[in-house]
Amino acid sequence: MIARGAPGRKPARWMVLLDPVFLRRLATHVLIFTSFIAVWEWAGQTGRLNDLIMPAPSAIAAAIWRMYVVTGEIYWHFFVTMFEAVSGFVIGGVIGLGLAIGAALSLTFRRYVAPYAVALNVTPGIAVTPIFIAWFGFGWNSKIALAALIVFFPIFVNSLSGLLRVDRDTEELMRSLGASKMQTFFKLMLPNAAPMIFAGFKVAITTALVGAIVAEFASATEGIGIMMQRYAHRLDIAASIGVLISMALMGLLLFTLMEVADRRTVFWLRPERLEQVSRKRRRRLMALK
Amino acid sequence: MYHETRAADGADPGGAVILGHGVSKLFGGTVVALEGATFTVKPRQFISLVGPSGCGKSTLLRMIAGLIEPSSGSLHVHGDPVGKPRRDVGMMFQRPTLMAWRTVLENVLLPTELVRKVTAADRDHALELIELVGLKDFAYAFPSQLSGGMQQRASLARLLQTGADVLLLDEPFGALDEFTRERLNLELLRIVAQFGRTTLFVTHNIQEAIFLADEVFVMTPRPGRIAGIVEVPFERPRDISLMQTVPFNEMVAEVRGIFDRDNK
Repeated sequence: MIARGAPGRKPARWMVLLDPVFLRRLATHVLIFTSFIAVWEWAGQTGRLNDLIMPAPSAIAAAIWRMYVVTGEIYWHFFVTMFEAVSGFVIGGVIGLGLAIGAALSLTFRRYVAPYAVALNVTPGIAVTPIFIAWFGFGWNSKIALAALIVFFPIFVNSLSGLLRVDRDTEELMRSLGASKMQTFFKLMLPNAAPMIFAGFKVAITTALVGAIVAEFASATEGIGIMMQRYAHRLDIAASIGVLISMALMGLLLFTLMEVADRRTVFWLRPERLEQVSRKRRRRLMALK
Repeated sequence: MYHETRAADGADPGGAVILGHGVSKLFGGTVVALEGATFTVKPRQFISLVGPSGCGKSTLLRMIAGLIEPSSGSLHVHGDPVGKPRRDVGMMFQRPTLMAWRTVLENVLLPTELVRKVTAADRDHALELIELVGLKDFAYAFPSQLSGGMQQRASLARLLQTGADVLLLDEPFGALDEFTRERLNLELLRIVAQFGRTTLFVTHNIQEAIFLADEVFVMTPRPGRIAGIVEVPFERPRDISLMQTVPFNEMVAEVRGIFDRDNK
């Protein structure tokens, strides 16, 4: 009778290491990757690649070693850009989600505000950079502002369509139970929209990083974008690629954090999480006075 | 905002719980969803509303629930004209309308939670209802872990948790397979008998309508109206074998006759 989620112990995560199919796939991945790197390195060592334009992997590795271990110069820049991206995300997110909530609750608000949000979206956000630098200066603020600006739209649009996608019957149920507008919002609309809101967050968090880095390219004294620019201007391509890899690392880090938050919040779409949450809810209800 | 909740045994015994006189509903000013419905529902009666799509049965139910207002005519519940949803009238839908992020118990507690802080006594009451509808071992399961029939059992428990003495059921088992539906109908009869609530049950299945009800409102479309009211005299408790008897099938024929007459 039970469709899914029947009790039964799931095998531990590490057990996958004993799975022959998984091992074969892993081995193939490693093989392809190492041969690619090996050919690249060979081409570099034998002078078939101009190392001014395309340095060999060993040169890139050495550059990464230098910036992370020898000088350690990257850490501050790494932190600055992360801070700008996250601050921009938070500011743009609060505004985007706030306006989406207003638009979802009031038709008038939706009618007179949503068009501006769309207009904002069709304007290439990056192009606003010079104006933002004029307004907010060369420091962190202009980067945060640009990140906030381009983060706003995906969050606004996703949140709004999530909030409006409420099942009609469930809405009538809430009305028949005499729920107030606030209760309907917090107990139905908001949790119902959570998967969409988080989809917006996940798109936005990497977008925030793009915003911060692009604004740094335009004008900055610190941050990973300016670090990359300095190396590239010096034609130190190996170090530039090292910085690029660090940027990818930042994106991965931010995205993973958001993914974890999503998994924790929107647990009901993850069958593997249900049992754990169920136990927690049971404890809470049993503790009622 | 709410009318006072009255005792479950009805406002005034012998009087009507629901009284409709010439109730009509127009949508968009032109589409007649329901025309001139006049009827009485007495305390503890089980009424089936049967008819094809577009006969206004759901419209009538939603007016009684206070979700929409009649365009003309008078409609009273417990002596008050309908207008807003009220605590002593509860509704159940064809789809389970459970919240995916709440356990069964939390879903059942929702009606209480909207009114006051949930106490241990509320929880225990909800657990009793969950046991009553046969979901004892699933109180802490999430809706996605339940079959369609079990989800409807959970929404039935939630309906009972409202404490409403008028139950409005809009094709509650319509989306389920034949076997599950038959079983749930029987359990519904048992539960309603135990609680002594007034019940209005919408369906498009004639057999089901007769089997469950004290009185069947036969409804026809274009415009939606009550074409006939058939009294069902069969003794309670009823068994599924009733459906094989001659008097039962004569009654099915009688109801069908009302539809045919209307089609001419």
